[in-house]
Amino acid sequence: MNLEDIIQETKTYYCLECGKCTSVCPVARYDTSFSPRMMIENALLGFEDELVLDKELFSCLTCYTCQSECPSDVDFPVFVRKARAIAQGRGQRGICAHSGQLQSLARLMTSPTIKQKRLEWLSQEYRVSEKSDVLLWVGCAPYFEPIFEDIELSALGITKASLKILNSLGIEPKLLPNERCCGHDALWTGDIETFRKLAEHNAAQIKEAGVKKIVFTCPEGYRTFKLDYPNHVDLGCEVQHISELLAEKIGRNPDVLGKLKEIKKKVTYQDPCRLGRHLGVYDAPRRVLESIPGIELVEMKHSGLESICCGTSAFTNCDSCSNKLRSERLSEAVATGAEMLITACPKCQTHFRCAMVDKGEEHRPTPKIEIMDLANLVANAIGEGGKSSK
Amino acid sequence: MEEIRTGVYICHCGSNIAGVVNVEEVARYVGTLPNVVVSRHYRYMCSDPGQDLIKKDIKELGINRVVVASCSPRMHEPTFRKAVEDGGLNPYLYEHANIREHCSWVHDDKKLATNKAKDLIRAAVMRVSHHEPLVIREVPLNPNVLVIGGGIAGMQAALDIANGQNKVYLVEREPSIGGHMAQLDRTFPTLDCSECILTPKMSDVGHHPFIELLAYSEVEEVSGSIGSFKVKVRKRARYVDENKCVGCGDCEEKCPRRTDSEFEMGLAKRGMAYIPFAQAIPNIATIDKREERLCKAACKEACPIRMNVLGYVSLIKEGRFREACEVMRRTNPLPAVCGRVCYAPCEEACNRGQFDEHIAIRGLKRFAVDYELKMGKHKAVPVERSKEEKVAIVGSGPSGLACAYDLVRQGYSVTVFESGPEAGGILRWGIPEYRLPKTVLANDIGHIQDLGVEIKVDTPVKRLGEIFDQGYKAIFMGTGAGMSQRMGIPGEDSPGVLHALDFLRQVNFGVKVDLGSKVAIIGGGNAAVDAARVAGRLGVEEVTVVYRRSRDEMPAIPSEIEEMEHEGAKIQFLAAPVKILSDNNRVRGIQCIRMEMGEPDASGRRRPVPVKGSEFTVEVDNVIMAIGQRVDKAMLPKELAYTDWGTLSVDPVTLQTNIDGVFAGGDVVSGPSDVIAAIAAGKRAACSIDAYLRGEELSVEEGGKVERLSEEEVTKVKERFASRNRVGVSKLKPETRVSGFEEVEHTYSPDEAQDEAGRCLASLVEGCFECGECKEVCEADAVDFDQTDQIIELEVGTIIVATGYDQFDPSVIPQYGYKKYDNVLTGLEFERLTCAAGPTEGKILLKDGREPESVAIVHCVGSRDQNYHEYCSRVCCMYGLKYAHLVRELTKADAYEFYIDMRCFGEGYEEFYKRLSEEGVNFIRGKVAKVTDEAITDEEKGKLIVVSEDTLLGKIVRVPVDMVILCSALEARSDADHVARLLSINRRTDGFFLERHVKLDPVATPTDGVFIAGCCEAPRDIPDTVAQAEAAAGKVLSLISKGTVTLEAAISTVDEAICHGCGRCEEICTFNAPKVAIKNGALVSSINEALCKGCGSCAVVCPTGAIAIRHFTQDEILAQVAALAEAC
Repeated sequence: MNLEDIIQETKTYYCLECGKCTSVCPVARYDTSFSPRMMIENALLGFEDELVLDKELFSCLTCYTCQSECPSDVDFPVFVRKARAIAQGRGQRGICAHSGQLQSLARLMTSPTIKQKRLEWLSQEYRVSEKSDVLLWVGCAPYFEPIFEDIELSALGITKASLKILNSLGIEPKLLPNERCCGHDALWTGDIETFRKLAEHNAAQIKEAGVKKIVFTCPEGYRTFKLDYPNHVDLGCEVQHISELLAEKIGRNPDVLGKLKEIKKKVTYQDPCRLGRHLGVYDAPRRVLESIPGIELVEMKHSGLESICCGTSAFTNCDSCSNKLRSERLSEAVATGAEMLITACPKCQTHFRCAMVDKGEEHRPTPKIEIMDLANLVANAIGEGGKSSK
Repeated sequence: MEEIRTGVYICHCGSNIAGVVNVEEVARYVGTLPNVVVSRHYRYMCSDPGQDLIKKDIKELGINRVVVASCSPRMHEPTFRKAVEDGGLNPYLYEHANIREHCSWVHDDKKLATNKAKDLIRAAVMRVSHHEPLVIREVPLNPNVLVIGGGIAGMQAALDIANGQNKVYLVEREPSIGGHMAQLDRTFPTLDCSECILTPKMSDVGHHPFIELLAYSEVEEVSGSIGSFKVKVRKRARYVDENKCVGCGDCEEKCPRRTDSEFEMGLAKRGMAYIPFAQAIPNIATIDKREERLCKAACKEACPIRMNVLGYVSLIKEGRFREACEVMRRTNPLPAVCGRVCYAPCEEACNRGQFDEHIAIRGLKRFAVDYELKMGKHKAVPVERSKEEKVAIVGSGPSGLACAYDLVRQGYSVTVFESGPEAGGILRWGIPEYRLPKTVLANDIGHIQDLGVEIKVDTPVKRLGEIFDQGYKAIFMGTGAGMSQRMGIPGEDSPGVLHALDFLRQVNFGVKVDLGSKVAIIGGGNAAVDAARVAGRLGVEEVTVVYRRSRDEMPAIPSEIEEMEHEGAKIQFLAAPVKILSDNNRVRGIQCIRMEMGEPDASGRRRPVPVKGSEFTVEVDNVIMAIGQRVDKAMLPKELAYTDWGTLSVDPVTLQTNIDGVFAGGDVVSGPSDVIAAIAAGKRAACSIDAYLRGEELSVEEGGKVERLSEEEVTKVKERFASRNRVGVSKLKPETRVSGFEEVEHTYSPDEAQDEAGRCLASLVEGCFECGECKEVCEADAVDFDQTDQIIELEVGTIIVATGYDQFDPSVIPQYGYKKYDNVLTGLEFERLTCAAGPTEGKILLKDGREPESVAIVHCVGSRDQNYHEYCSRVCCMYGLKYAHLVRELTKADAYEFYIDMRCFGEGYEEFYKRLSEEGVNFIRGKVAKVTDEAITDEEKGKLIVVSEDTLLGKIVRVPVDMVILCSALEARSDADHVARLLSINRRTDGFFLERHVKLDPVATPTDGVFIAGCCEAPRDIPDTVAQAEAAAGKVLSLISKGTVTLEAAISTVDEAICHGCGRCEEICTFNAPKVAIKNGALVSSINEALCKGCGSCAVVCPTGAIAIRHFTQDEILAQVAALAEAC
């Protein structure tokens, strides 16, 4: 794909050069040299080098704020994604965070013969079934566990909580022993080849598993399966985020999880960009929160469509601007008076936790708040006496 | 059967067709087809030589069918039909094949395109042989024109057509014509005052002999077609007689209710009776009544003087207290008095009482006058003496004062003769100060005197002759019933026995009265209660009221009885004194007898009867008799006649006594009654005296009817409003009260009063609630609440739609803070700010009244944006520039224009843009991201910060300003869809009306006879709008000038032998052409040829095949289809 194709495909030529993308962009707020408008203009004028060799190309969070306000409906995030593919071809990858471990893992998993011990954590406590037509996507969680130990993130904790929830709903899901990375990060950093291989591998396994529905705990995997896989592979099944599944079940029967424990807490909710602006899921997590006795939900100054990104995507270009954004967002969360920040995305949680162990920007300490995934909160409310728990 | 001889002509259309289609080959092929006599090809068939080919062949080769293969029939079918007709054939013996849009323009492959052309022409040739000659008919065109919408477009079109002496009906939905242009302050780029150039046109429209203006009206139904449309217009009730209203605006000034003025964009208020703006045409008030009142206004009907309770209560609700007093004084001369001592029949009648508790009307009345007094009452302006006659009033009690008040306001000279030392009558001497302070009474009387009534105190009138001798032409006797009744029991004349009125009079005038420690009051009326409470205040230890009936029958005001008991007085019910006991000329007690209630008497009241042997004694030191009052004949001139009851005898209607010119009313006629009844009598007498002096017959107004709400009505109220009890007033503690004569009841605070007034059911409905205040003040008597909507049926030949646009509501873009921040305005709001006649009289002011130091003008709000409207609204750049100019001219503020592209395309527009640059306006190229009040620097504190990228600098800018003007898009009217359906016209995807051809037919619509002009078609500025209006008028005038309409010949026909009369054709036809009726004994359909458009819908639904469309018969279509099928 060349620049001209990208312009045609994303209809960038409709751009009015009005600058609204830049003025609403969270990155441009802190990084004055970052300008979506200029990137588009470079593309429209055919200045490929200026576009793809600039390290700023990898600073875009693809958070979709610009696209949601663009008067010309230009899909800037997709434009960036495709421009990154050209950049990859020219040796540009952005600056990989965490020594590139996460990118390397994804590339490793493209090997068809790799042996993974993905499900060693699975204990008797959880009921899974080989025959189930519901699949729980485990994703990167097992790999995150050792990498993010220092910031006390337990990605598997979210997976386990989700299993507990599914069991409580009377669902004994299937888990795939040989899942691969969904390829989200590879796709959004322009590594199309890696993405394609991962997608094909996953699709083949899912076909073989013969499930009707895949449930996700991570909005990135969810988005990738829902919007991006169909362009490359055929899955032949439905996909759903755990919050949507819960909201749907609770909507039909408020007592579907049995009697929930009261959790007397004031909480606020971070809309993950992928779940929110990418997929339009705003209500379901809130409905789930409201169904837990004792939980009082307060909204941050920017929520829903206006929500602010956690500051990094695809573990690339995690710079000072990222940290300023996180600090700003955490301040908003603290300002609500909430005792806890609830997310529905393990990545949001990772980045916020990471920011909270930092010294903070400009010698101001990063605001601190307890942070938890929606699934963990629900699992806590189900408690030991949960409906189907042993 | 005639021989079919077809000529076929293939057009090259320059290279448009010939560049792709091999025309020679096609012509050769066509020559081989059946019936084709000649097949030619030519460079431009539409040219004169091209058309001549056809004519020549008709003449020379005798061809009787013609096929032309060229461009779209929409373009040139009429041209060639005309050529065929000129050649001597019926124009319907012609068929058109489109080989340009269908072949050359859409195909690259020359061979295939050529083959397709052959197929299409072959099909046309097969079809044309079936064509029959059709008769073209013309019908007359009704020269009357309907113009919908009275903005600048509608007005201009109407004037152009009417100036040609054609009748125009101009229908406008709003109360006035003028449209949006009337709201604009100045017009770009010349900065002409919009109103100055518009109002002469409005006036012309209003007075034009050929324009019938139907304002406040809407088109409801349109039927028929070009030449003969039938239109139903709903003329909404204004509740104002258009022929009587003079547009003085008094009704609006007096209207107690205010709402946001639509014309002022909510920046000012208007009344429910209103004229939208000063130059309105027609200059007639409109009453904005939206729903029926929830109550029956029983308060007003129950009031003996029909005070406008709804009116003043509602004014109090709105905080307009002085005006509330004005409303009261229009009917009541003594509002302060009535606010305290009236027994308030209004409250008892109040319909809210059926729901929770009645409104505290008396307390509200008192509040308003007290408030006025506290704030400083303006001295009343004396009434001009417009009548020669002088009238004398005898007695300055409530009836006398009321009579004097009404007469002086009618222009008479009025003198009141009072025998006592001070005016007020029983109000002055009979009511204790703790209920009615002297200052309050003096205030009311002072107002009456200010109006010009002369009061002569210490002037008893002994002889009526004396008065007439002084030149008075009429006399009103309002002398009251001031003499106490006697009981006629032994010991009644003992020292220590007092009569209530004497007692109260002495106390009120400061005469010391010695009472013992125990006092009995005999009686149960107000005088008894007053006497008891006064006695308590004079230090009497034990006050006992002796009343012969039970509590329910006590005639005194219940709340007064209650207060009396709070103050310590006891009541002996069902007890009657039979003898006053005294020792040594000193009262020592009363002997009483127990009573029981007997059978009801003739008056319906149960009579008390003594219980034998139940005598008992009450020990007291004094007895105060309060068993009633009567007229003191000794005080009155001898010549007057009396009734058996000892009251003055008067004519029940005119209130005239036995002596000509002498009238009487109040207690002297009715016997002891209450204040409001006396006031009512005085007012009635004033009416009568006026009629008498003018020598006219007295017209008697019918009394009001107090209605209660039905149960359903109460339920309806309950469904809408929560119950809320009346707001109480504080009172002095009984212990404090009895030590003096301080007023017992306190008055409401303004907040409490507004809160209580807010409970009034009448004012809970939206819009006008028919308080009738406007009706009272309207000198032209134009207000008519019985008006109803009228349906007016019009017949017109043509219609121009000029319904204009709506302003986009920017509150749907939350980032811009409209409705969130006070100083974020829309364009139209800013227009009203700069307009000299607007709410700030032309000053650019912030909501807090300051002048802004900086103003941002945000372009493309809702325009050029996929999320709202994709189109450019065309006028915003220019009006945005105008705003910047006005900001620079009228204030010292900086102006910032946030734009994407400057579009300054009209005459003088670019020059205006240049001028603005000279004026120091800052231009920032960038679409604004947001407007916020969150400051991040000190400079930004207290400001609105406009965030945008300056795309020319590539920098994000935050500009702190005081005011933000959003250049809101123009959008299609919210009911454009409804209008489109009404007129069978179409809308584009952007919602505006679709023109017939965007370039070549911009004011016509696909519906013949319906034209569009102005912003209903697309956003445009005033010059373009006027030009379009004139264009539409020109189209209409050319039709009128021709005078007839050519009817489509290719229309439906019914084979009556086959038709069942099923009626499906009738249902489907949008033009109402088919009608099913009995014909020759059978139910059959027939087609109105004037209405049928030949669309074919009826033929499709016809189950029997009885309906065929001429020129599109089954034979014709099947022949064409069969020919095409050969190609497959």
